[in-house]
Amino acid sequence: MIRLENVSKVYPTSARPALDDVSVEVERGEFAFLIGPSGSGKSTLLRLLIREDVPSSGTVWVANWNVGGLAGRRVPRLRQRMGCVFQDFRLLPNKTVAENVAFALEVIGKPRHTIRTVVPEVLDLVDLAGKAERMPSELSGGEAQRVAIARAFVNRPLVLLADEPTGNLDPETSAGIMTLLERINRTGTTVLMATHDRQIVDSMRRRVVELSAGRLARDDARGVYGVAR
Amino acid sequence: MMFVWREAFAGLRRNLTMSIAMVITTAISLGLLGAGLLAVRTIDRTEDLYYSLIAVQVALDEPTSADDRDCSSPVCTGLRGELEASPLVASVEYESRDDAFARFQRIYAGQSILQLVRPQSLPATLRVTMADPLRGEEIVTQYTGRPGVRNVVDQRSTVADLFSFLGSVRNATFGLAVVQALAALLLISNTIQLSAFTRRTEVGIMRLVGATRWYTQVPFLIEAVVTGVVGAVLATGGLVLGKVFFLDGLMSGRLLANTIPPIGMSDVLGYVGPVLVVVGAVIATATGYVTLRLYVRT
Ligand SMILES: Nc1ncnc2c1ncn2[C@@H]1O[C@H](COP(=O)(O)OP(=O)(O)OP(=O)(O)O)[C@@H](O)[C@H]1O
Ligand SMILES: [Mg+2]
Repeated sequence: MIRLENVSKVYPTSARPALDDVSVEVERGEFAFLIGPSGSGKSTLLRLLIREDVPSSGTVWVANWNVGGLAGRRVPRLRQRMGCVFQDFRLLPNKTVAENVAFALEVIGKPRHTIRTVVPEVLDLVDLAGKAERMPSELSGGEAQRVAIARAFVNRPLVLLADEPTGNLDPETSAGIMTLLERINRTGTTVLMATHDRQIVDSMRRRVVELSAGRLARDDARGVYGVAR
Repeated sequence: MMFVWREAFAGLRRNLTMSIAMVITTAISLGLLGAGLLAVRTIDRTEDLYYSLIAVQVALDEPTSADDRDCSSPVCTGLRGELEASPLVASVEYESRDDAFARFQRIYAGQSILQLVRPQSLPATLRVTMADPLRGEEIVTQYTGRPGVRNVVDQRSTVADLFSFLGSVRNATFGLAVVQALAALLLISNTIQLSAFTRRTEVGIMRLVGATRWYTQVPFLIEAVVTGVVGAVLATGGLVLGKVFFLDGLMSGRLLANTIPPIGMSDVLGYVGPVLVVVGAVIATATGYVTLRLYVRT
């Protein structure tokens, strides 16, 4: 589902590559953690997957798309099949919870009656059925992140990418978010999550891909956060 | 599609002061353009009017004027025959001294100048209506100084001053319209850039969810088009007010009554109004499109 072939990324403003000859593959339906110290290139890798940036060399595949070589006007199609969740939620501040979720469907041209039935279903899934008409500013961090997940998931993406989705949340709320991501993974969606959260990684025992200074340092099928250092 | 309109109007409201400035500038520019168009139309009509009335007057000398009532003298018939044979000439009419005096009395009825003029001071004339009114000078040169001819006057030259005045009014209006249009363009372009900048985070999020560039940018384009159209409507309203409160008074006054054909309400609403709406919309769209292409990358 996701395949990187000898991918390097050098930002023009820095000498050291953010990604250095990384090759890794994530199968359809898999759940994988992407870990590594700050600055190791986790966000850069995710940015290449959604074509917010292009690799300096190597090839990035998502499903059958050669992401790096995609024409600009094809990029929306790719993103419509992917869901993204971030540490800072990235909700549209002047739209309600329901509108934020509906927006992801409007963009891909879903008819209004479909939107009207699907949005409540998904809000129900993330346990926010009662807060559909709230504005993002009226939500707690955990609630806002659940809205973001609902938005990412509402059009049944092939892949869900999460960049430190629990970075701003307390452990208990984080656990709730993880339950949600697991549930989404069980529907067949491939999940790739970048994180610093040792506790989460250790308790889930899923695949762990570790980056270190832009290089692939470790790839364990049922890993833990770190070998005791 | 609802989304797009909602966003556009939200955008206009967000930068309300800017939007107002934008609409006013656009309206002034289009108003001037409209005034120019009306001037052109008036000039055309005035020219039509005058060209159908004016003629080249071949005034006959004193002996012929005094004696000939119906152009039966050899001098007069000769001139007349020659004129009628000319390809430049459409028709020739003879006006005897008595006819001229009668017309003079009609025109200046009740005015003091009438007391000063006696029939003897008016010549008999051959009124030559030109096939091409612009070539009257050729008749003037051909017939000036011929036996029996007192002088030859091309009436067109006497109204040329009026046309050149109207022409410069038109040019000045168009010139101002262009300068003002430039200001409107820059203002529209700037507002779109500002609008896009204020909303860059929002647009970034939309793009992340898979919105196309087009989808996120159409609202800005609509903002521009709405500005153009509202500006055009205001401009048309301004022209109507200008016509009713200023031009109508001026045109019916002593100086200009019957000199310049009046501008009708149908000229403003049926011709200039629609033209301005189209011009406003097209220019705003073009400006918006170019701005988005060149300056807005998200
Ligand atoms: N837009 C950019 N321009 C230049 N350099 C960048 C840019 N984005 C990231 N970098 C550099 O690339 C390297 C990797 O950054 P990246 O954000 O991928 O790290 P990360 O693993 O996500 O770190 P964190 O855990 O702190 O989020 C860093 O050295 C960073 O300074
Ligand atoms: Mg990061």
